[in-house]
Amino acid sequence: MSQEHVLIATLGLDQHENGAIAVARILREAQMKVGYLGRFNTPATIVEAVRIQAPDVVGVSCHSWEYLELAPDLVRRLREAGLDTPVVIGGSVITAGDAARMREAGVAGVVHGAVSDDAIVEVIRGAARAHRDGESGVIGP
Amino acid sequence: MAPHVTRSGVALRDAYGDPAGLCETPGEFPFTRGRRRAAGHGGTWIQRELSGEGTGAHSNAQVRYLISKGQTGIDVIGDAASAAGLDPDHPLASASVGAQGVSLCRKQDVMDLLEGLPLDRISFSASLPPQAFVAGYTLAAEQYGFAAETLRGSMIHAPLYTEDCSYATHLPTGYRVRAALDTIEYCARHLPRFHGYIEDTYFFSESGLDAVEEMALGFVQIRYLTRCLIARGLPVDAFAPRIAILVNCGMDFFEEIAKIRATRRIFARMMRDDFGARDPRSLSVVITSHTSGLSLTAQQPANNIVRGTSQAIALVLAGVQALEISAFDEAYRTPSRESHLVGLRTQQILDLESGIGRVSDPLGGSYFVEALTDEIEAKILTRVAEIEALGDPVDLADQGYFREIFTSAMERQQREVAKGEIHVVGVNCHQIPAEEDTLLRDLAEQKIAVFDDHVAEIRAWKAGRDRSAVLAALDRYRTGVVSGANLIPLVRDCLNSDVTFGEMKGAAREALGLPWDHYGLVDGPVF
Repeated sequence: MSQEHVLIATLGLDQHENGAIAVARILREAQMKVGYLGRFNTPATIVEAVRIQAPDVVGVSCHSWEYLELAPDLVRRLREAGLDTPVVIGGSVITAGDAARMREAGVAGVVHGAVSDDAIVEVIRGAARAHRDGESGVIGP
Repeated sequence: MAPHVTRSGVALRDAYGDPAGLCETPGEFPFTRGRRRAAGHGGTWIQRELSGEGTGAHSNAQVRYLISKGQTGIDVIGDAASAAGLDPDHPLASASVGAQGVSLCRKQDVMDLLEGLPLDRISFSASLPPQAFVAGYTLAAEQYGFAAETLRGSMIHAPLYTEDCSYATHLPTGYRVRAALDTIEYCARHLPRFHGYIEDTYFFSESGLDAVEEMALGFVQIRYLTRCLIARGLPVDAFAPRIAILVNCGMDFFEEIAKIRATRRIFARMMRDDFGARDPRSLSVVITSHTSGLSLTAQQPANNIVRGTSQAIALVLAGVQALEISAFDEAYRTPSRESHLVGLRTQQILDLESGIGRVSDPLGGSYFVEALTDEIEAKILTRVAEIEALGDPVDLADQGYFREIFTSAMERQQREVAKGEIHVVGVNCHQIPAEEDTLLRDLAEQKIAVFDDHVAEIRAWKAGRDRSAVLAALDRYRTGVVSGANLIPLVRDCLNSDVTFGEMKGAAREALGLPWDHYGLVDGPVF
């Protein structure tokens, strides 16, 4: 499989970005092509970036509860725009209960709790592979 | 405060020193060993927890609860929208109103937040939009019958850094500096007991900066704002006594103590030698403190109580004037009532049971601590000189110089944890399986719901306002933004005319040649 292309972003007014920057580094060290959209993205601006950059996966780092509303909105807007790019979210604020709800809302992968760098790479790589294979559905821990 | 005698009956002095009188005494220049000779000068440190959620009234109840449990100061933080200068009815705020802090956008909100609080007896510190909050605070205090000269509290300013690693207002750096200076000047002239300028090194050091980087950037900003205030014609002794520094405290116990001791010394010499301060109060800086949220882990959250305790001990030994312990559940949620209480009780146990705050600078004279203080001081001064040699700090901010420092620190810190170069118990050593990690975990699922009712209330209130009064006040505000008048009287005017925080920001952006809303989702006042 050729190099995976991932867009990393945070959503809404969540000002925390330590996690996003850490994940971007982990994925780069795993030889992925990583674009970092920075903070204060709206679902609409991410959809626009996906349309232009055509990544394999969108990764959203969450450290506020805004993702509960905005991550499903992002998935919905992507699909409405005819884009099947998988969305993976991650963050310590995400609980097991929320992870299930996010998957029901169409989020392809959820990284939460104590996970290793390798596990993060595996979730992103799995989402990218599924996307390229034309598969959809839920992956990851 | 713990009795001034040990359990065995040994009477304690306020401070101890070299019998030959060769070493520095607490309370004397350059204040390495503390601002005053007596620890806590007769009281103790201010014990508080960072709070704020929901509406002004909701946060008022939260503050009253904490006071009822023994909290002796107040520190309130705004929600993401308030901090960013967006009203709760802004489309981007809808997912978070009141969930991460208090939602404030109008005079009534500030009135609700402060209602019934003894503002002349308890200090009110705020991590809120500085101009809007100081204006609202003074208006509310007037309405509640408190004279301006009796008000106690503090206001954070970080015009050089906030955009790069915290809540972004999307206002130009130069304007943010001007607004901070206006606020500090206003406070210096009208609120003599209020700390109009807190240099907050806490929030940006949470990017993973080390102790030297944290204080070097802090001093770069203090020195820059001090030069600007003097250039405005303010005598240094008119505002320097009301500067305080809010420091972080990470896990490196002795280095953090040395950092605070070195900070007091640097500040004293800098104010005297570089800025000509003569008032002793200008030289002995107040240090307030917050234990590190970055050091907390989502794994095994009970361990965070130990981290907070260790850091709090360091801060008390270093002689801080106020202390907040990051809530143990902060890694996975906005702090719960339970975690606030644990933080407060930790401080009370340290104060009343351990007695570690009874004597000023108990580590003074330790070969190790004194040597470390000297080394940290030298490193901070070297780093400040390096940064200042690069040019004007506003230009550096605009060129992304500081942003690069912060993002590099985030990456470095995470890499060091991932590679095990920094030990983090429960994360890269001594882990336990997720199914065993259940203690205190239930708090993670208890969320603070978005305050949708408040959004509806704000919409209805906006629709009922006197449209012409709002627009006229906004015109006066725009004129002031362009003319360079002090903004605070204009903000007070706006708040009295039912202009919101978000609308003032929008008007300022327009006056500066920018669109009303950075996100392009709102194009003017909504009625």
